[in-house]
Amino acid sequence: MTKPHVLLLGEIVHAKAEWEALSEVATLSVCDSSTKEEFIRDLAGKYSDVMAVYHCHMKDAKPGAIINKELIDALPPSLKFICHNGAGYDMVDVNACAKKGIIVSNTPGTVSDATADVGMFLILGALREFYPAMTSLRKGKWNMGAPISRDPEGKVLGILGMGGIGSAIKRRAEGFDMITQYHNPEPLSDELAAGAKYVSFDELLATSDVISLNLPLNAQTRHIINKDAFAKMKDGVVIVNTARGAIIDEQALVDALESRKVRCAGLDVFEAEPQIHPGLVANEKVILLPHVGTRTYETQKKMEIQVINNVRSAVTEAKLLNVVPEHISLVH
Amino acid sequence: MTVTKPHILLLGEIRHAKAEWEALSDVATLSVCDSANREQFIKDLKGKYSDVVAVYRTFNSVAITGRFDAELLKEFSPSFKYICHNGAGYDQIDVVPCTEQGVHISNCPSTVDDATADVNMFLILGALRNFNEAMVNLRKGNWNVGVPLSNDPDGKVLGILGMGGIGRALKKRAEAFGMTVQYYNRNELSSELAAGAKYVPFDELLATSDVLSLNLPLNPKTRHIINKEAFDKMKDGIVIVNTARGAVMDEAALVDALASGKVKNVGLDVFEAEPKIHPGLVSNEKVILLPHMGTLTYETQKKMEIQVLDNIRAALTTGKLNTIVPEQAGLQ
Repeated sequence: MTKPHVLLLGEIVHAKAEWEALSEVATLSVCDSSTKEEFIRDLAGKYSDVMAVYHCHMKDAKPGAIINKELIDALPPSLKFICHNGAGYDMVDVNACAKKGIIVSNTPGTVSDATADVGMFLILGALREFYPAMTSLRKGKWNMGAPISRDPEGKVLGILGMGGIGSAIKRRAEGFDMITQYHNPEPLSDELAAGAKYVSFDELLATSDVISLNLPLNAQTRHIINKDAFAKMKDGVVIVNTARGAIIDEQALVDALESRKVRCAGLDVFEAEPQIHPGLVANEKVILLPHVGTRTYETQKKMEIQVINNVRSAVTEAKLLNVVPEHISLVH
Repeated sequence: MTVTKPHILLLGEIRHAKAEWEALSDVATLSVCDSANREQFIKDLKGKYSDVVAVYRTFNSVAITGRFDAELLKEFSPSFKYICHNGAGYDQIDVVPCTEQGVHISNCPSTVDDATADVNMFLILGALRNFNEAMVNLRKGNWNVGVPLSNDPDGKVLGILGMGGIGRALKKRAEAFGMTVQYYNRNELSSELAAGAKYVPFDELLATSDVLSLNLPLNPKTRHIINKEAFDKMKDGIVIVNTARGAVMDEAALVDALASGKVKNVGLDVFEAEPKIHPGLVSNEKVILLPHMGTLTYETQKKMEIQVLDNIRAALTTGKLNTIVPEQAGLQ
């Protein structure tokens, strides 16, 4: 009996041995289609019996980078599983996948620590306004540009979307004596909340000293932080985003910084990255990172292995280990 | 016959606890030093400041008076008894001549711990994760292109050289990021204070730590304690962070160790000859540098000012300082 066919869309950098080991249970192909048209032809040709796909972030222009409805319609009937490398999977149209009977997995858990480390760095950098201090030093002006700022101790951290990453940020923030509250679509169990107070969305906005965005990007959450949301926040609030840029209306953020409604911001993600609103780049106070959330050797390897484990489970047991929330009802 | 109140002198500025300073006038006569420089100050010590009993001095006031060395101390009259210093580090004061002259010194332990540990943890993250290079790359318009992968703090060994109040506050934060803590002090701490941190000899701290944090006071014994010989004993690729005093580390030897790759990255808040910084550091885009921001927050600055004022009040009303420096502990 022929082994199931697995297709790699993208690159495996750290877990090459683990990928090669999959050849004991599957035939492995690495996608070499160079254009979208060629890829669609190959899906009807050499990839027409592919059962599972390993998908990771690629430059937007590469075929298969964005798994949209057009591409999903062209996928062969044999393709049942898309195993995505990343916690955020907004570049995969999960509704179109569901309609075609394709189940998607992502990489929760493995991303939590590294992303939370970035989140906490940005919370500190924004509260303490370290960025102007660093640039002042590099310009030879020592601390002339360094403002007196605020301690995290005793401040209220509001987490919007307390999942794995949000919980990891809570644990770190408690090391700095911050008090955590959160808003999710539903309250968590006491065990998962681990002492964090559940509040409504409006109360989170109105009573948090620092707001950390840790929710997924989808049609409901796009621009959830907009002009109206800023108007409900405390004067001098600090905003940190390690989720997806489009959760914040970037123009509204620039306006809120200008009016000093928002005292400072720490951002690892941007609406149209790698493009960044010029109002942010020109702002001397905000602390900005170029989407480095999980960019460490250790975490990148863990994530690749997690995807490979999902592929192995798809091939050997016809199920995924980390089904995305939108597809959980499809597999039970 | 009326009893005159003791004369106390402010060297430097009080920014936040002005009311508390004024309130001291119930037990003292208050003067604010207006001497233009050290020469004038010495003249004034023979004139209008000749009956000063206690001095409130700030870190920045050294620009006027110069160091509190034997030469300056002998210009004070015999009535002079107390130097109440605003800061945890008091290396601007020579303790031995003070003791010989019967002058007691207080500093600001504990009030500085959280804010300094916050800077310390920010720098550990920034150095391990290569965040400075990422931020610079972004601001140049290159997003994260060319920015290499970095390392997670999770599971790494943090070696604390000098685990006093700041070091223990750092331990609490580092553990929230999954780090394991070991330390070297002159004397091992009680198990309560060590709270699970492993006590190791100095050489073992150097040889087995993935991240080395300098949290010890500067004095003749600790000056350049981190020198070329010390670097040779460290792990290849070690990360070093200093929020103590620049001169505990030989800055030129550090630049060499960075160039050779022995030290993978550093995070520094203090420098040997600040505000001057070794050009080999300023031009290095990987290292993360702050201009001595340790306690620069409204909340902590006010707590420190009040701690100094409380020391003055205690000295004048009870004859004992609240937080006399360790070297003089036996004198009260």
